[in-house]
Amino acid sequence: MSAMKLLVSRWPTRLAASLILAAVCATAAPVRSAAADEAAAVLAADATADGPAIEEITDQHLPFIYTEWEHFTTADGLPHDHIFVVKADGYRVWVGTDDGLACYDKRTGKFQTWKEEDGLPWRVVTALDVDRKTGDLWIGLFGGGLARYSAGRFDHFNQLNSGLVNDVVYGVAVENNHVWAATTAGASRYNTVTRNWEIFTEKNAPMEEIWNYGVSYNDGMVYLAVWGSGVLEFDVTTERWNVYLPTDGEMEINLYRDDGIVHVITTGTSYVDKILWISTYFGASRYDGRNWRGYYAHETGLPNDFIPSVKGRSANEAWFATDRGAGVIVDFPTDTWVTYTRDPVTQRGQAVIQRGERVLKTVDLERCLPHNFCNWIEFDGDDVWVATSKGLARARGTGYYPRLKEVKP
Amino acid sequence: MTVRQFQAMGLILVLALAGHVASLRADELDIPEQVPVSPEMREVLRMIHAAGTYDTPNLPLRQDETYANTSPDLVPFRHVEPHIRFFLEQMEYTGPGRGKPEPEHVDTVKIGFLGPIEPTVSVATGGVSHAEYLGVKMLQGSKLAIEHANAAGGYFRRNIPFELIVRNDNGLWGSSGEEIINMAYREKVWAILGSIDGANSHIAIRVGLRIEIPMMGTGNTDPTLMETNIPWVMRCMGDDRRMGYLLVDYMYRKLDLRRVGIIRASNRFGRFGVREVVDGSRRLGRPIIIEMAYPLGVEDVSLQLDRIAAANVDAVVHWGDAADGARILNQMRARGMNQPFFANDRCATDAFVEIAGENAEGVICGFPWNPDRECPRLDAFRVAFRERFNEEPETQAAHAYDGMNMLIWATQVAGLNRAKIRDALAFRTEPWPGVTGDIPFSAVLDDAGEVFLAKFENGRWRYYSREELEIPEAMEGIPVTAVE
Repeated sequence: MSAMKLLVSRWPTRLAASLILAAVCATAAPVRSAAADEAAAVLAADATADGPAIEEITDQHLPFIYTEWEHFTTADGLPHDHIFVVKADGYRVWVGTDDGLACYDKRTGKFQTWKEEDGLPWRVVTALDVDRKTGDLWIGLFGGGLARYSAGRFDHFNQLNSGLVNDVVYGVAVENNHVWAATTAGASRYNTVTRNWEIFTEKNAPMEEIWNYGVSYNDGMVYLAVWGSGVLEFDVTTERWNVYLPTDGEMEINLYRDDGIVHVITTGTSYVDKILWISTYFGASRYDGRNWRGYYAHETGLPNDFIPSVKGRSANEAWFATDRGAGVIVDFPTDTWVTYTRDPVTQRGQAVIQRGERVLKTVDLERCLPHNFCNWIEFDGDDVWVATSKGLARARGTGYYPRLKEVKP
Repeated sequence: MTVRQFQAMGLILVLALAGHVASLRADELDIPEQVPVSPEMREVLRMIHAAGTYDTPNLPLRQDETYANTSPDLVPFRHVEPHIRFFLEQMEYTGPGRGKPEPEHVDTVKIGFLGPIEPTVSVATGGVSHAEYLGVKMLQGSKLAIEHANAAGGYFRRNIPFELIVRNDNGLWGSSGEEIINMAYREKVWAILGSIDGANSHIAIRVGLRIEIPMMGTGNTDPTLMETNIPWVMRCMGDDRRMGYLLVDYMYRKLDLRRVGIIRASNRFGRFGVREVVDGSRRLGRPIIIEMAYPLGVEDVSLQLDRIAAANVDAVVHWGDAADGARILNQMRARGMNQPFFANDRCATDAFVEIAGENAEGVICGFPWNPDRECPRLDAFRVAFRERFNEEPETQAAHAYDGMNMLIWATQVAGLNRAKIRDALAFRTEPWPGVTGDIPFSAVLDDAGEVFLAKFENGRWRYYSREELEIPEAMEGIPVTAVE
């Protein structure tokens, strides 16, 4: 056993490996050494503590594949087929479209819809979140500001009647008693109890640019995906900001894949199990608080590097909505992916299982995505909802299991 | 007839139509005979029409060997092969937009215009807006193109006129985004031309991406505008990256300058505009000695010039508006600073000369095109512009005329479908024959045509190509001493 292996096999394995990896990276960042790879492998193995050890993984260890897909379009009662966002809320599933808001009742299988003539302040719904304490639905309107749907009534907040910094709202997130809105000219934070507004721009937050694109909240942390300014982290407890930017500072290249966020043009964030998943129009990133991992289509199961949004399910699983299908990293330690796409000619679907670049298995599906241009992902128990530019999909997770399972041929 | 039978008939009809579209021959595309379309472009249009709702056109994507024609020694981190390079493959639109049917009834074919034409307050500049003098010219060029198209018969497929929908680019709280939304959803424009301010333009193109509408940039030279991977955005004007690199080559490879200082506007335009000059200087082993910023409209820059003079520079590069640049030049000369003065394209104007007077002699600016070249198209444009507006056209007007004509052409050949209009321009087989010169698109749909240097000589601006000035390229000229 090499000295390195001996060292990292002792407690605390993860800490030791992290320190070694950090030290190796710090001293020889441009060329990743064998020692760094070894340390990274130990970290990865550690992450598989609830599954088989990484060296025991074979090509028979496969992830769950979603094979049951339902499609919803205007023919089913949606107000429009261009779906920007979907939010699951118990038996309700809220849907934001290019021309109206919809609510799918899972008990009845029926849609209720709202358009401008029904009181919806503006037709284009690009963001949704639900306040779990009040049940209120918060609606981001693309060019129409922010709306709250409560007790059958829409309350409208815009840049003329409130502290909303801009009416072009890309993202909404409920954080404790606050509602955050990511707008095209900064972020706003509304306190639903005191009714006070705060505005965050380059004046009071580390935004090199103010073009907010997405906002998410979980576990005490608010993350803003800011177009041209990477990712901003807001610690709710300390009210302090942190910023994540690419380390090379260049637009036309990414010098090293795993040394930071892959690009400054970010589109979405999802924080789960202390892991931050990030989408950009140039690939994706995962950050565990110490280590970065970059993902590109040419070496993973990402269908494309153009990624409008991401939703993390755990530290090991994240779904990326891309313009060429849904790419899912299902097991981080083994770099196992499932890619869901629709064949534009046959209209059938396909799920491709990959480990890194290597294809393990291709599963033909009678039905998959309604369209390959995906805008948003939402988890609903074991089910997954996918908002596409031509219809809404629900993938039934009957028998879902996380990560990998040995499947005998 | 039952509902099910009705649906079945509808499905058959849809499939039949889809089959018809897919099997369209190039000569069945309903392209108006008045619109010039090469045989190659006809084939491209056939593939665009065949793509439909779920597919993308089966066409090769443009591949560029280098981004923005950057010479090897100006490439960032050139001694290391990066993990990935961006912007080398043509962007694609993969959504369902091509499947949208044309509207049955339209009275006019609306094209949007977004530009700074009325004074306002700008978040980007932190004060009063400053680009109206450019925006008004851009509007004139756009109007002229629309008027020419209508005089020639308008939108030929339906014999209806084009209509320009004009909106002011109000920088206050990013409202340019709302103007795009209003134009797209309420006015139902088919494409949009604009804008000038870098921050506002970024806001506009992000909105354009979500709405899925072609956006033609004709007056914004911010390199980062096209570095966002938005397949709906294109630009028909050389940018600050390419003009900056040409200036760098001229200063170091041709003049062998050693110590260059920068004075720039304290706004996004100034900050991003000089980035390529700063990076290029460092990469050629001649890092910028000092960089000073000034507030827009400042009357006294003695503080900045004190520092620059103390830095003992061989030359000064200015990046900002014409009036500010001219005042700075005058103050430099008044205190005996006689170093060569280089600037961005906004200074190569009559407005600059009016303020700078004799001091303008010898000033050299990057410039996105060559107004001196002999070209019947350009001559005809000048005559028409003079007749229409009783003044000489300048760079914003000329580029807007080109950009608007590109949008009009694409609408004529593609029909009333935003995705197809976008495709017609993105997959265009020949450079656009513009009044500003031939405009070939790069993979990121940026103008990959030649850029120039404007020199004020003997009382007028003259324009020179790299070849005419014998500016060496790449590793020639000076030894490379810098390591990233």
